Amino acid sequence: MTSLTARSAGWRRPLAYLGGAVLLLGGLIVLLPDRIGAFPPEWDIGFGPAVNEVQQWWISNRRDLGVYLYFFDPLSDAIDWLLRAFENLLMAIPWYVHVAGVGVVFGRWLGRAGGLAAGAGMLYFVALGLWEQSVQTFSLMTVAVALAVAIGVPVGIWAARNDWVYRGLRPVLDSMQTLPAFVYLIPVLLFFGVARVPSLIATVIYALPPVIRLTNLGIRQVPTESLEAGVMFGSTSGQLLRKVQLPQAVPSILAGVNQTIMMALSIVVIAAMIGAGGLGQEVLLALRHQEVGRAVEAGMAIVLMAVMLDRFSHSLVGQGRMGGAHHTEGLRYRYWWVAGGVLAALAIAGWTIGWTDYPTALQFSYAAPIDGAVDWARDNLYQLGNLPVGTGPFSDFLTTYGTRPMRLYLSEEAWPVVVLFFGFVAWWASGKKLLLGSVVGTVVIGLLGMWTLTMDTLSQTVVAVLMAIVIGLPLGVAASRRDWLERGMRPVLDTLQTIPSFCFLVPVVILFNVGRIPGIIASVLYAIPPVIRLTNLGIRSVDSEIVEASESFGVTRRQKLWKIQLPLAMPTVLAGINQTVMLVLAMVVIAGLVGGAGLGLEAVKGLARSDTGLGFEAGASIVILAMILDRITQGWAARFQPPSSEGE
Amino acid sequence: MADSEEHSDSLSGQPILASGVWKVFGKRVADAMAMARDDVDQAEILARSGCVVAVQDATFEVNWGEIFVVMGLSGSGKSTLIRCLSRLVDATAGTIVINGQDLGEMPEIELRELRRHTISMVFQNYGLFPHRRVIDNVAFGLEVRGATKEDRYQKAEEMIELVGLDGWASNYPEQLSGGMKQRVGLARALAVDPEILLFDEPFSALDPLIRRDMQDELLGLQERLRCTMVFITHDFSEALKLGDRIAIMRSGAIVQVGTPEEIVAHPADDYVRDFTIDVPRHKVLSAGTVMAGVSPDMVLEGEPVAVSARLDAILPRLLTEGRPVPVVDERGERCGVLEPAVVSRYLWRQ
Repeated sequence: MTSLTARSAGWRRPLAYLGGAVLLLGGLIVLLPDRIGAFPPEWDIGFGPAVNEVQQWWISNRRDLGVYLYFFDPLSDAIDWLLRAFENLLMAIPWYVHVAGVGVVFGRWLGRAGGLAAGAGMLYFVALGLWEQSVQTFSLMTVAVALAVAIGVPVGIWAARNDWVYRGLRPVLDSMQTLPAFVYLIPVLLFFGVARVPSLIATVIYALPPVIRLTNLGIRQVPTESLEAGVMFGSTSGQLLRKVQLPQAVPSILAGVNQTIMMALSIVVIAAMIGAGGLGQEVLLALRHQEVGRAVEAGMAIVLMAVMLDRFSHSLVGQGRMGGAHHTEGLRYRYWWVAGGVLAALAIAGWTIGWTDYPTALQFSYAAPIDGAVDWARDNLYQLGNLPVGTGPFSDFLTTYGTRPMRLYLSEEAWPVVVLFFGFVAWWASGKKLLLGSVVGTVVIGLLGMWTLTMDTLSQTVVAVLMAIVIGLPLGVAASRRDWLERGMRPVLDTLQTIPSFCFLVPVVILFNVGRIPGIIASVLYAIPPVIRLTNLGIRSVDSEIVEASESFGVTRRQKLWKIQLPLAMPTVLAGINQTVMLVLAMVVIAGLVGGAGLGLEAVKGLARSDTGLGFEAGASIVILAMILDRITQGWAARFQPPSSEGE
Repeated sequence: MADSEEHSDSLSGQPILASGVWKVFGKRVADAMAMARDDVDQAEILARSGCVVAVQDATFEVNWGEIFVVMGLSGSGKSTLIRCLSRLVDATAGTIVINGQDLGEMPEIELRELRRHTISMVFQNYGLFPHRRVIDNVAFGLEVRGATKEDRYQKAEEMIELVGLDGWASNYPEQLSGGMKQRVGLARALAVDPEILLFDEPFSALDPLIRRDMQDELLGLQERLRCTMVFITHDFSEALKLGDRIAIMRSGAIVQVGTPEEIVAHPADDYVRDFTIDVPRHKVLSAGTVMAGVSPDMVLEGEPVAVSARLDAILPRLLTEGRPVPVVDERGERCGVLEPAVVSRYLWRQ
């Protein structure tokens, strides 16, 4: 009952309020004296230098600290040992055994074509001389995923069996999932310095939430009757867990592992910035040296790895769901025995004749033609003759009419007005609590000395989000009306969502050079799938009876869309927009690597120069910005939830 | 099950005795109970305390080897009641005695033993374990109590055969139809040789024809096994068909307990009468219920009928002959008379 009234109060804050506020605050800025500009730099509380002092103290005293001596260092050594062991094992196995082995596994689960494609994928890593880097990236990711699963599954079980734990954990997991991967790297720097183990720790932490969440969910989703049946036959709580709950939670847990793998891969690549090495470092160095061809080669390797891992873990989920039900036991295992035997024989043969490495003579590279193409693109696509067509004029247009005015407005006009405006949007979307939160948050950003940079990042985020919506929403609507379009777009969207954010930077640099615009374009590409997907899904899942009812009144297609489908699809669409906003922010931050100024660039500088304090300030601002944007878009989405679905 | 006769001999009293059982869901249980005892109605209790009174002062007993049906509309508390009987839900107040032991006082370990050996349950949506094959579902109860693989599979095979699913042992539940799934549920419950079987609307998710088959099959099984059954349903005709005795529930309270015939002939109130309106009475009522008294000197012609005879067997004769028919008891002595006028009043009473 109370929720119903609260909802209808929410409905009384129409979009018009927002427009009014924009006008009012715009006017306010004109009226205010000029001297109230950006957040006063002298109010900077000096958080960064303080962090640096702590780090200095830490580094000079770490040998005497018990936690290091008896906990962090042994832990770090153990992890390092594990990593090395795994890497050495992979490197020791002859390359062709890897190719064949991966082919055999994929062939079994995804059919002959899948096996061949996967084998070809493996061949790519060795043939381009990226084998060692690939093994590094893969090992780091695998060990991180193994640790994440080893920690996450028990925690998830605990959360499923104890409501208090779940209630305590949920907000933590929620916040963890809103933060861009990037900011996880910063605190581990403080404690562990630059190396592979800290990257691994950051990866484990970043990739942990989905395992915990989906283990918990899988166990909680076991139907009550199934549980009651277990209890009624006198199971002990251990028997209930082992025989009833966990087996039924397996598909969900595997789905969590799939997400964890993909998240781990994406951050392992970014972690090259703090010394993770591997393919990420290859891309990073290539971008830094403007060797686009090399960046493309390594970037493609990452994409391939991502796609293969995704397919692999998806079919793992499939296997878990079927429980191998439809094969007879003997047949199931014979395939693996035979394949394993043949592969082992091949490996032994390779070792005896000493042929384990890919012959250098057979290596190839397509970096040179790519570089040529890039040069050609720079010369020809940048601007077509004297016409205002091409990537150059496009960038200029976007800068002149999009990012620059918005950035200048946000970062140079009276800061209290900007804080107020933020507060108003927060109140409009959610309520008083968020108003307070966003006012405090924005002021804290100012006190960190990050005002201008944050507003820069924010303006890029807003422009990219608007572009994603303007392009994605109509595409989603179109896909909801045409099955062929939906079918055609699905693999494209799947691939876009599988590719680690980092890789989007490579092609946009080819076309748009460096700066803010390539970052924005990459963000749009990276973040557009959720809007398209969820618009399509939202419209398609509108109850067909409701649509038929509207048709029986003779609506036109346009009326049907605007009066029935879109309003009912709104909660789903907004959930998509929420995801898009978070993805854009994550990408805009990473775009600091290709010169997208703002918080990302600052954090990159901080990481590169080991100025942890600077990294912390930028990272904290990113966290605050992410939290506020997430709460605002979620609050907005929540208001569209029809009252009936509430109160369950 | 074969030895249930012994149980009935060795143990005095009923297998299930429930007295003054209450179940209140919510946080302010004490307030809600106090209000409910003062006869405040449910909607007001909900508004004032946020609590739902699911079972209200239920008192009944179940006899050895009978099918005791609890019938009520959805939300009447029947599912909660049956869960109280196995302590899947803890009763708020009142006592439930199973085989002479107080269920509420029972420590965890004894409760587990009781569930492993004495009580079994069949669920509305089957409650099968989707990750286990049919045979592993059926063997589950034996598995958790520690039976060897060989023993439990042997027993499970027997049970699968008993419910007519031979050849389906290695299939997974999702590969079966609804009726077959419930057969698995039944086999699983029977596999532990329970003395008491609880059925929570087991057939309501099935198609009408399959439901009828399953009902007949259950009656057939009961003929052979003779265990004590508590059967929940919202279908009055199912209650009449299966029940030796029926308890009718309305908003958490039991409004009437009786044999099908008692309930149809003498509904306790209008609520119960509503259910009986569409019942084909001649199939439920027997001569004993509808006969009129008879003076010893009254002269009656024609072959007498037994007190237990159903009206549908007697009606053709009553209608064609158009005269009173004598009724005799088990010893063959005349105890009443069927007057067409009286009978018709029973048959077409509104």
